[in-house]
Amino acid sequence: MTPTTNSVITVEELDFSYKTSGIWVTVLKGVSIHIDKGEVLGLVGESGCGKSTLAYTLLSYLRSNARIDNGKVVFGSKNLLALGRSELDQLRGVQISFVPQNPTTALSPHIRVGQQISEVLVQHNVLADTKVIDERVQELFSLVELPDSSALMLRYPHQLSGGQQQRVCIAMALACDPSLLILDEPTTGLDVTTQSQIIALLIRLRQQIGMAMLYVTHDLGVLAQVADRVGVMYAGHMVEVAPVDILFEEPRHPYTQGLIGSVPDVDIRKNMSQSLRGLLERDELPEGCPFQPRCDHADLTCQKTVQYLENVSDDHQVACQHWKSIDPDVPVDTTNLTRLSVVGDRSLLKFDNVSLSYVTKSVLNSVLGSPAIPVVRRVSLSVQTSETLALVGESGSGKSTIAKAAAGILPSITGSIEFDGRGLAGNVKRRTSEQRKNIQFIFQNPDASLNPRSSVDQILSRPFAKFFGYVGSELQKAIDLSLDAVRLDSSYRTRYPDELSGGERQRVAIARALVAKPKLLLCDEILSALDVSVQANIIALLRQLQSENEIAMLFISHDLAVVRNLAHKVAVLYDGELMETGQVDALFSPPFHPYTHVLLLAVPSIYNRHTAIVPARTEIVGTAAGAGCSFAGRCPWQLGELCMQEDPPWRENGQSNWIRCHHSLDELMKRSAWHVQPQATAK
Amino acid sequence: MNLVHWFSLWRLSPQSLKIGSVILLFWLLVALVGALWTPYGYSQLGAGLPLSGVSWDHPFGIDQLGRDVFSRVLYGTHIVILLALAGTSLGVVAGALIGLVTAYIGGWLDEVVQRFAEAFISIPFLVLALLVIALAGPELSGDPILIVIVVAFVYTPRIARMARAAALDIITRDFVTIAKLRGESAWSVVRRELLPNTTGTLLVEFSLRAGYAPALVGSLGFLGFGIKPPIPEWGLMISENRALILAQPITVIGPGIALASLIVGLNMFTEGLARILGRTVRLGEQ
Repeated sequence: MTPTTNSVITVEELDFSYKTSGIWVTVLKGVSIHIDKGEVLGLVGESGCGKSTLAYTLLSYLRSNARIDNGKVVFGSKNLLALGRSELDQLRGVQISFVPQNPTTALSPHIRVGQQISEVLVQHNVLADTKVIDERVQELFSLVELPDSSALMLRYPHQLSGGQQQRVCIAMALACDPSLLILDEPTTGLDVTTQSQIIALLIRLRQQIGMAMLYVTHDLGVLAQVADRVGVMYAGHMVEVAPVDILFEEPRHPYTQGLIGSVPDVDIRKNMSQSLRGLLERDELPEGCPFQPRCDHADLTCQKTVQYLENVSDDHQVACQHWKSIDPDVPVDTTNLTRLSVVGDRSLLKFDNVSLSYVTKSVLNSVLGSPAIPVVRRVSLSVQTSETLALVGESGSGKSTIAKAAAGILPSITGSIEFDGRGLAGNVKRRTSEQRKNIQFIFQNPDASLNPRSSVDQILSRPFAKFFGYVGSELQKAIDLSLDAVRLDSSYRTRYPDELSGGERQRVAIARALVAKPKLLLCDEILSALDVSVQANIIALLRQLQSENEIAMLFISHDLAVVRNLAHKVAVLYDGELMETGQVDALFSPPFHPYTHVLLLAVPSIYNRHTAIVPARTEIVGTAAGAGCSFAGRCPWQLGELCMQEDPPWRENGQSNWIRCHHSLDELMKRSAWHVQPQATAK
Repeated sequence: MNLVHWFSLWRLSPQSLKIGSVILLFWLLVALVGALWTPYGYSQLGAGLPLSGVSWDHPFGIDQLGRDVFSRVLYGTHIVILLALAGTSLGVVAGALIGLVTAYIGGWLDEVVQRFAEAFISIPFLVLALLVIALAGPELSGDPILIVIVVAFVYTPRIARMARAAALDIITRDFVTIAKLRGESAWSVVRRELLPNTTGTLLVEFSLRAGYAPALVGSLGFLGFGIKPPIPEWGLMISENRALILAQPITVIGPGIALASLIVGLNMFTEGLARILGRTVRLGEQ
């Protein structure tokens, strides 16, 4: 589809470079897009594909080391790239506005949020006097569904939750009634329930105001909810553009297929066998199709022939010369269900009525009498050998705290933790070296968990020396083997962490943990910093390692789809208390605990275009820690006083699934609205 | 790091680094060959008539004992530079060790060491240096090793605080936690995890401190607590010749200019270096 007079903004043949260490590197090549009035265009691709760069170019906002080599960005009748600063100032924030990824850094911490919004109005001189401006700010607050606006306007950003902060950012962007809104990963840092509310808000705002949007994200599930059309980018090239339904049902470009295939789904029967191999190597891009080195359909001509977008249909374009011969039906992966390893019969890790707290018992605290409210309360868990127990819940639910307690880096623990039949000391210093060896921790962010000044060789050799006393050739061989186990070759040994990609770094971190030959791996959100294709590879790797080495895992994740694909057992936590535990199949089928239900409803899926709106995470009302159900304040099925005051009972679901709720199982069954959709057809 | 790289580094480096390194290179050259090249011995009496004034033979004049001041300045260069660098190096090593270890161990040890460091920092440089010399007693007075220790002692608490601050940031990183979980000893964590990640900060600290060290050595010499005569330490020479300041000002101004230009050169160099290092340290952390 060619740009029409209906387009709000049009990008024509854009070439864009950044200067890094004295060399100009092309980051966008021949990109053309247009956004129609009231349309939401989604931009998707893995990190480094140029999607954010394109978004900033639409604002004509260039970093000092950036250069436009060719092309135009036409907004209205003007080429934005040719405009001067003052002309841009009149456009940006008024007709084109921006919602950033991280609201915490986007809002000025020392200015009240109401004032930050009115600043936009004052700056652009759109409203006459302060009274009108105040009214407009009020109006914007209710527009973005912020409660009790007069009190909230006077708050500082840190007094708001992440979701509320993002709403303020959206209100700022909408202040001058823009005709185009650019959103750069606006929900990426948020919990899945908060994300679903922001998405619902954006959908409603669009219907109400009718502005066009450019929505940049790495998450295909999110785009399925908000976008009308989607542009898929790879290495600075637009490789496929299609309406959202067509893109998911008939993806033509091999990269799009791989990307869709890499996304795990909560309904594991929908998982696809297609995934992406290799990595984007920026310095080794062929002159023809940039995806050629990773493509299964590529031939020699792809390397040399530059690919241009061709029409598949009127509104579907793909930049692949072989598109006609590529089957748009991606086969469903049927082996998925049997990939999990067999669970051992011995209990390995056992939490018995454990409460955890960050406050140490000190003389000062006991004198002042400040009661330390534990962040995790009365949790009982058990992990068998070779079993994966997933901990899920929103941020602040205590998932990581439990992993830290198991690792021995939390000061205050009450209750008992057992490991391999013996008591486990709360402090790692008081554990035996055998226990230290058998419990290994992998952190979320491999950038922080690898010493930047140590080579891969040094990183891996230390645990070998420490736990097994390896030296000399024995050590050299062991390092090679451990790299091989995570599918890295021995050429990586001399590299430093900054010479590795994110996925490779996480592999090195995994290799380091495996060096100790542990019985238990504690994995704290280890996939969340990685791209989907890398995630898919690591999930496959973890599964294989688990069945080869009989390792048990405590797997912490906010991503229910990943959990569904990797875990044997799941524990759902809310605000430090267990809500539901059970075998993964039983947990993901009704009856659900109300909180599990809320979480499942909030997951954006590419097969389910309309997620339900879930109750907000507001300040918890009515319940003090230890009294009543901690979820009661937010529960959509709350029973009133009973939930507020009495501890809910554990109910056994018969399928080794325990639900802690005042509702009976039959009642919960009746209320369940989330259910697994019928078996996916070939499409 | 090939030649082109070094060249572009030079081109991009701050102005102060360029000027500073020219001055510093000059003094290093003098320190290396000056002692061999002096027209007269540093303690050679009768090199000329005392107080005979400036001439081509005696550019900085002749002192009261008939020694050639120019020769003495040349000869003294390596002494000043060696004392300053040795003192600073010792201070950085000791400071880094104290700072990193106490930062990692924390608790009451950290508290106590910090309070001590603060107490020492609150005493002015020179007063602290004189205190140490007084404590060392008269037998050691004038010993070059004592001077090195004094410079190191003055700098150690300051460097320890910087090292501690840098380490506290590193300690929160996950790779330190991993080492802790592995059961590594404090020394192993300091050496393997903390030290490599604080070298940037320590280098900056070294270069800034080294810039002021000659001034401290010179001040001690001037006050008579430094190197003993007849070794031609510059501060000492200024002190010895100060009686001639009206009759033969050049005998004071000569070593004075030498000391001042070394300090200025070293300061410009180290400041420029610190800026480059600071930049790369920050780049490395990104």
